[in-house]
Amino acid sequence: MTYIPAIPLLPALAFLALLPMSRAARNRAIWLPLGAIAVSLVLSVMAFAAVWPGGAEKAAEPVYHESIPIATVGEATIDLGLRLDPISSAMLIVITVVAMCVQVFSVGYMRKDPRVGWYYAVLSLFTAAMLALVLADNFLMLYIMWEIMGLCSYLLIGFWHEKEASRKAAIKAFLTTRVGDIGFAIGLFVMFVTVGSFEFDAVLGSAAEWAPGVATTVALLLLFGAMGKSAQVPLHVWLPDAMAGPTPASALIHAATMVAAGVYLVARSMPIFEASGVALQVVLAVGLITAIVGGLLALVQHDIKKVLAYSTISQLGYMFIGLGVGSVIAGMYHLITHAFFKSLLFLAAGVLIHAYHNQDMRKMGGAARALPITSAVFAVGSLALAGIFPFSGFWSKDEIILVLTKDGQYLAAAGALFAGFITAFYVARLWFRVFTRKPQAEGLHEAKIGKLAPMCVLAAITAGIGFFGPTLGYFLGHKIPWPDLVVAGVSSAVAMAGLAAGWWVYGRKGGEIDTGAVKARLGAIYSALVAKLYFDEMYERLAVRPFTRAASGLAVFDISRIDWLVDGAAKAWGAIARVSWRFDDRAVDGGVNGVAEAIWAFGKRARSIQSGRIQTYQQLALVAIVLLLVFVVVKG
Amino acid sequence: MVPLLSMIVFLPLVGAIVTALMPRTMPTVPRVVALGFSVATLALATWALAIFDVDGGYQFVERFPWVPQVGIEYHLAVDGISMPIIALSALLTVLAILVSWKIDHRPAFYFTMIQLLAVGMTGVFAALDFVLFYLFWELVLVPMYFLIAIWGGARREYAAIKFFLYTLAGSVFMLVGIIALYITQGSFNIAELTALAANPDTALSYNLQFWIFAAFFLGFAVKVPVFPLHTWLPDAHVEAPTAGSVLLAGILLKMGTYGFIRISLPIMPEAAASQFWMWTLGILATVSIVYGAAVAFAQTDMKKLVAYSSVSHMGFVMLGIASGTQEGLDGAVFVMVAHGLITGMMFMLVGMVYERTHTRVISEINGLSSQTPIAGGLLAFASIASLGLPGLAGFPGELLTLLGAWRSDLWPGLVIISALGVLLAAAYMLWMVQRTVMGEAKGVVAKIRDLTAFEIATLAPLVVLIVALGVFWSLLLRYVTPAVQTVLSGMGV
Repeated sequence: MTYIPAIPLLPALAFLALLPMSRAARNRAIWLPLGAIAVSLVLSVMAFAAVWPGGAEKAAEPVYHESIPIATVGEATIDLGLRLDPISSAMLIVITVVAMCVQVFSVGYMRKDPRVGWYYAVLSLFTAAMLALVLADNFLMLYIMWEIMGLCSYLLIGFWHEKEASRKAAIKAFLTTRVGDIGFAIGLFVMFVTVGSFEFDAVLGSAAEWAPGVATTVALLLLFGAMGKSAQVPLHVWLPDAMAGPTPASALIHAATMVAAGVYLVARSMPIFEASGVALQVVLAVGLITAIVGGLLALVQHDIKKVLAYSTISQLGYMFIGLGVGSVIAGMYHLITHAFFKSLLFLAAGVLIHAYHNQDMRKMGGAARALPITSAVFAVGSLALAGIFPFSGFWSKDEIILVLTKDGQYLAAAGALFAGFITAFYVARLWFRVFTRKPQAEGLHEAKIGKLAPMCVLAAITAGIGFFGPTLGYFLGHKIPWPDLVVAGVSSAVAMAGLAAGWWVYGRKGGEIDTGAVKARLGAIYSALVAKLYFDEMYERLAVRPFTRAASGLAVFDISRIDWLVDGAAKAWGAIARVSWRFDDRAVDGGVNGVAEAIWAFGKRARSIQSGRIQTYQQLALVAIVLLLVFVVVKG
Repeated sequence: MVPLLSMIVFLPLVGAIVTALMPRTMPTVPRVVALGFSVATLALATWALAIFDVDGGYQFVERFPWVPQVGIEYHLAVDGISMPIIALSALLTVLAILVSWKIDHRPAFYFTMIQLLAVGMTGVFAALDFVLFYLFWELVLVPMYFLIAIWGGARREYAAIKFFLYTLAGSVFMLVGIIALYITQGSFNIAELTALAANPDTALSYNLQFWIFAAFFLGFAVKVPVFPLHTWLPDAHVEAPTAGSVLLAGILLKMGTYGFIRISLPIMPEAAASQFWMWTLGILATVSIVYGAAVAFAQTDMKKLVAYSSVSHMGFVMLGIASGTQEGLDGAVFVMVAHGLITGMMFMLVGMVYERTHTRVISEINGLSSQTPIAGGLLAFASIASLGLPGLAGFPGELLTLLGAWRSDLWPGLVIISALGVLLAAAYMLWMVQRTVMGEAKGVVAKIRDLTAFEIATLAPLVVLIVALGVFWSLLLRYVTPAVQTVLSGMGV
C-alpha cells in the first residue's frame, strides 16, 4: 500500500517539473503530466481493488492510514495524513478517470494555444490537490488542498488573461469562494477548540457528545464553506462567470471535481450534521433552493457553457438535497454519476464551440448531422442529466427522491421533481437549438479521434454505471436499493414531460419557432431571470462598491486626518519650542540661572527639530526621559 | 567556547569599518567587501541555527559586567524566538546587499550603512540587557535614516525625518519603561526581570505594571506599526531604496512585536492579561488588519500597497500577541518570519520592475507575465504567498494567530472581523496581480527584459524558504513552540 501517496504526488511532481521550464520547453513536455495522471489512474484502480468489496467495516477501519506531523502547537499535533477508505477510493477513480479524459482531450483541444504547457501544469497541480483532498485524514489538510484547488481554479479561469472578462471572472471566483472559506476556517477553529484535533476520527467520533449548539455552529460554518466551493445560492455567482476558462478545464474543475468538493465535505462531516439536526434541514433548504434557482437560470442562457454551468449549480443543489436528508450515499451517488455525465457534456460542448467558433446557441444548429459522434455522446449525457432510464442520472436522481419520500419529506420531493422538470426542459431547449434545426454556420466538422475517444469513454460510463448502483452502494457502506417503481415512474413521467414541454416550445416545426410570445407572457419573471435574479447587482451594490468607496475614503482619511495629526504634532512641537524660547528669553531672569539655562537649552534643542538636525534628537530624548521618569517615580 | 553571538552581531561592524575605509577610487570594492562579511555572518547564523538546542532555553550566553556600578552588563543570548529572527536578518542583509549591487552613488557609505544596520538589527534580538537592547534599538535608526535620506526617492528628507522622529518619540517612552523597571526592580537584565515577574513575591504591583506596560506599548506600537501610529511606514517605504524597504519590512517592524513578546508579556504579565490591555491590543490589531487591507486596496503605487499590506499583516502578529495563547504566539512569530520573507521578496521584485520601467504606478504596469514571464510569475508567487495561500509561508502564521485569538478570551467578533482581513488580502493582492501581471504588455513594459540570472539567484532563497515553511511548519515551530511555552509558563498561563 506504500503506493498510495504516489497517487497525488505524481501529478504534483509533474507540476513542479513543468514550473521552471521555459514556455517552449513546457509546451513540448505535456507528455509528462499525461504520463503522471495515467500512472495515478492505474494506482487508483489498484487502490480501489484493495478496498474492494468495501462495506461499512472498511469505512470504519481504513485500508491505509499514514501521516506525517508538520507541526506541534502546544499539545496538539498537526499532521498531513492520508487515509484510504471506500469513499476516498471511489473518489480517486472518479477524479483520475475524468482528469485522464480531460487531459487526453486537451491534447487536441489546446494544442494551438501558446501556453498549453502552463495549462497542463496547472491542471496537474489541481489534480494533485483534489486527489490529496479526498485522501486527507483531517479537516485542516482538507482545507489546505481546498484552497490550493481554489488557486488552480483562479489560474485556469484567468488562463486567457489578455481578456478583461477572464481576469474579472478569475478574481470573482477566488473572492466569492473565499467568503465561504472564512466560514470554513472559523468552523475549523470551533472544532479545534472543542476537540483539540482536526482528525476525522477524533472529530467525527466525538461529534455526538459536543455541547448543544456547538455541532450546529460547526456544521453551519462548514456548510458555508461548502456553499462557496459548490456554488450554492447565494454564493453561486462565480461559477457561470468561471466559464471564461478553457472548456476542458471547466469540465474537470467547474463541473466534475472541484465544485463537488463541498458536497464531499458535507458528506464527510455527516456525523456533525446529524448531531445538529437543524443543520441538516439547512442543507436540505439550500439544496432545494439551489436546484430550482440554478435550473431556472439555465433556462434563459444563450451561451451553451453557461447553460451547463447553471445546470451544474442545480445538480450540485440536488446532491445537497440528498445530504440534507442525512443520506451520504444519495449525495455521493449523484456526485459520482454527475461527474461523468457533466464532464462529458462539457467536453462535447468544447467540440461544438470549436466547430461553430461560437458559444451562442442561437448561432448553432444542425449539429446532429454534421457531428454525429459528438451528438450521440451529447445525447447520452443529456438524457442522463434529464434523468431518463437507463442513463446514470436517472438512477442517482431517483435515489435522492426515494430517500426524500422515505423520510416523509413530500414537499421537498415535490420541489426536487420540479427541479427535475426544469432540468429536462432546458436539456430539450439546448438539444433542439443546437442539434436539430437548420445549421447557422458552415464548414462544420467532426472532432478527431483524440477528442472523441475520451468522450466515448465517459459516455460508456454514463450509460452503464446505473446498473451497478447497488454494488456501489454496498462498496460505500450503505444501501442503494433498485429504484422504487412508483418513484421511478413518477420521476420518469416528470422528466418526459419536461422534455416534451421543451420540444413544444423549441423543437416543433424544425426548431424555427418564435419564442417571443412566451417571453412576453412571462414578462417580469423572464427579465428577472435574464438579470440572473439580481444577485450580481445586489453584491455589486451592497458589497463591492461600498467597499471600494470605503477603501478610497480610508486612504484619503489616512493622509488627510491621521497623518495630518502627525505632521500637526510635529509643527505644534516646533511652535511650543519657539514660545518657550521667547519665554525664557524675556521672563526668566539670571537669578535662577541653572534652571533657565536648562530650559533654554531645551528650547534651543527642540527648535532645531525644524531644521532637521537629527543629532539633537537624542538629547531631546534625554530631556523627555527625565520628565517622564519623575512622573513614573511619583506614580510608583 | 566561541563567542558565536558576538561574532554574528559584530562581524558586520568590522565589515562596516572596513567598507568605510575604502578609497573612493575603488567604487566596486565596497559591495564585494560587504557581501563577503554578510555571507560570513549568514554562515555563522546558520551554524548557530543548526547547533541550537530547541529545548535548551537561552543559549550561546555571553555575560560580562559592563558598567558594574549600576549593574549594566554585556549580555547576549538567544532562545527559540530570537534565533530564527536573527537568522532571517542575516539572510535579508545578504539579499539587501545583492539587490543594491548597482548602487553607484557613494557606494562605500551606502554599504557601511547597510552593515551598521545589520549590527543593530541582530543586536536587538540577541541582547538580554536593557541598556544594550536600547543601544541596538536606537543604533538601527541612524543607518536607516541615512539610507532613506541619501538614496531615497523624491520626498526622501521628509520621510527620513518622519521615520526617525516618530520611532524616536516612541522609544523615549520605552526608555522611561526601562528606567522605571530599573528603579523598581533594580535590574537591567531582561531574563532576571522576567524571573522576578514570574514570582508572586517579587512581582510588581498591578498598577505599576499597567503604567510600565503603557510606556513600552508606545515604544513598540510605533515600531510595529499599529494603527493609528502607522503613517510613517508608507512614507518610509515609498522613499527608501529597495534594500531599505526590504530590511525595514523584513526586520525593523519585527523589533516592535518582538518587544511585546520578549518584554511586555513576560515582565508585565498581569498588565498583559488585564482586560484593558488585552482589549486594547486586540482591537488595535483587528483595526490594523482591516484598515491596512482596505487602504492597501485603494493604493495606486505598488510600494505603498505593500507598505499598507504590512500594516495589515503585522496586525495578525498583534492579534496573536493579544491572545496570549500558545497558538497565538506561535502564529505571531511565524507571521513575523513569513512576512519578512514574503514582503522582502515583494519589495525586491517591485524594485527590479522599477529599475526597468522607472515607475511603480500600478496602472502604468501591465502584462508582466507576457513580456517578462519570470518577473511576472515571481510577483504572482509572492502575492499569492502574501494572501495566505496554504502550502506557502503566509498561511500557517495567520491561521495560528486567528486560532489562538479564537481560543483566548478575546471577543470572537474580533476574530471574525480579522478573518475578513484574509479575504481583503486576497482582494488587494489579486487586484494588483490582475493589473500588473496579467493582460497584454503595453507601454513601459513592452520593451523591458526579464530578470537576469543574478536577480533570480537573489530571489531563489526566498522562494525556497517560503515553500519550505509553508509545507513543513515545524521547521520554524520546533524552535518557537518550546520558547513560547517558557514565556507562557512564566506568565502563569
